[in-house]
Order: sequence, then C-alpha cells, then structure tokens
Amino acid sequence: MLRLEHFKFFKWAIVFILASFIIILYKYFNPSDYIYFPKCPLKSLTGIQCPGCGSQRAVHHLLNFEILNALRENVILVLALPYILTGFVFENLKKSDKRILKWRKILFGHKAIYIFLLFVLSFWIIRNII
Amino acid sequence: MENKNTERPPKTWLLESILATLFCCLPLGIAGIVNASKVESRFYAGDVDGANRASSAAKKWTTWSFGLGIAGIILYMIFVFGFAASGAF
Repeated sequence: MLRLEHFKFFKWAIVFILASFIIILYKYFNPSDYIYFPKCPLKSLTGIQCPGCGSQRAVHHLLNFEILNALRENVILVLALPYILTGFVFENLKKSDKRILKWRKILFGHKAIYIFLLFVLSFWIIRNII
Repeated sequence: MENKNTERPPKTWLLESILATLFCCLPLGIAGIVNASKVESRFYAGDVDGANRASSAAKKWTTWSFGLGIAGIILYMIFVFGFAASGAF
C-alpha cells in the first residue's frame, strides 16, 4: 500500500531528476547560442531589459565557474544567490532562539527587503541607461 | 495556513518571489516582494492577523508569477519546436 512517505519520496525523486536535467542543460549549452531557451517577453516586445535579463546566461557561466562572465550578464542574480541560499537555511532552521530571530530580522526583515527592492529597481533603470 | 506563533513571523515568501522576479515574470514577483516586507513590518508592529494576510497575499502573487512564467516557457517551447518542425528555421 502506498503511504504518504512514498509520495514524498516520488516528489523528491522528480525534483532531483528535473534539477539534474536543468543543471546539465545550462552547464553545457550557452542560452545565447540556441533559440530553444525562453526569451524575456519584455525585451522581445519593447527592447527594454528587465532585472532578470541575462539570468540564464549568468547561470550558464556560474555552472562553468566563470564568475566574472556571470557578473557581466546579471550582477543582481549572482549577488542574490548567496542571499537566497542563506534565506532558505534560516527558513528551515527548526529551533529559533533570540539570536537567530535577531539575525533573521536584520537580513530578511522589512528594511532589508526594501533595500533589496531598491537595488533591483535601480539596477533595472541603470542597465537600460548605460 | 494560519500562524499563531507570536515569536516568529509567518512565511514571507521573500526568497521565492525574488527567484520569480529574476527568472520569470517581473511585475508579479515584485508584488510578492512588497507583500513579503508587509509580513515583516506588520508582525513586528504586533499585527499578527495582518501579517498572516500579507503572507497569503505574498503566496498568491509568487504562485501566480511562477505559474505564468512556467506557462510562458512551455508556450514558447511549443512555438519554437513547432517552427523548427515545420522547417522555418
């Protein structure tokens, strides 16, 4: 009989297979060389780059350990990845003592979120001016 | 999902909405980020119910932006492979 644990196992197995597929795909194929990778709808329609433009190319360079090339494609993404990883660690901490909550508030609190948003929006404007 | 815990804010969906902003559809992702900050500010202002409401709003925006992003990718794939199959490229 199938129990809940089996479904959980299947779910993680599918996630693992999909993730490995995506990692291999982006490591060995540069998205700018193939038409099969999805294009940014905003850029295709208006020519304006959105804050996420270049993320696929940046991921390709990161998987090949070419940090500088990745930074050139999308600075915000490369800088956001360590932040996002830290965030997932904080979210999955089972116990939350005062010190962890304090750091959580500093790194992911109201102010931090607005600073991050400000960075994203100014990056959006600047990359279209330069 | 109600969070009656008064020590730790409810899930803000911040990380998921940042990922959605940087990888798929931007405006909905930004709405998610704004709601994530509302979760934090309301929670620390003592408004736990408001924080829970902002949390579910953030979840809604993030889910929609991921959903639309994935739908867009699938449509694009169908479009490109359709063209490739018909020999247009």
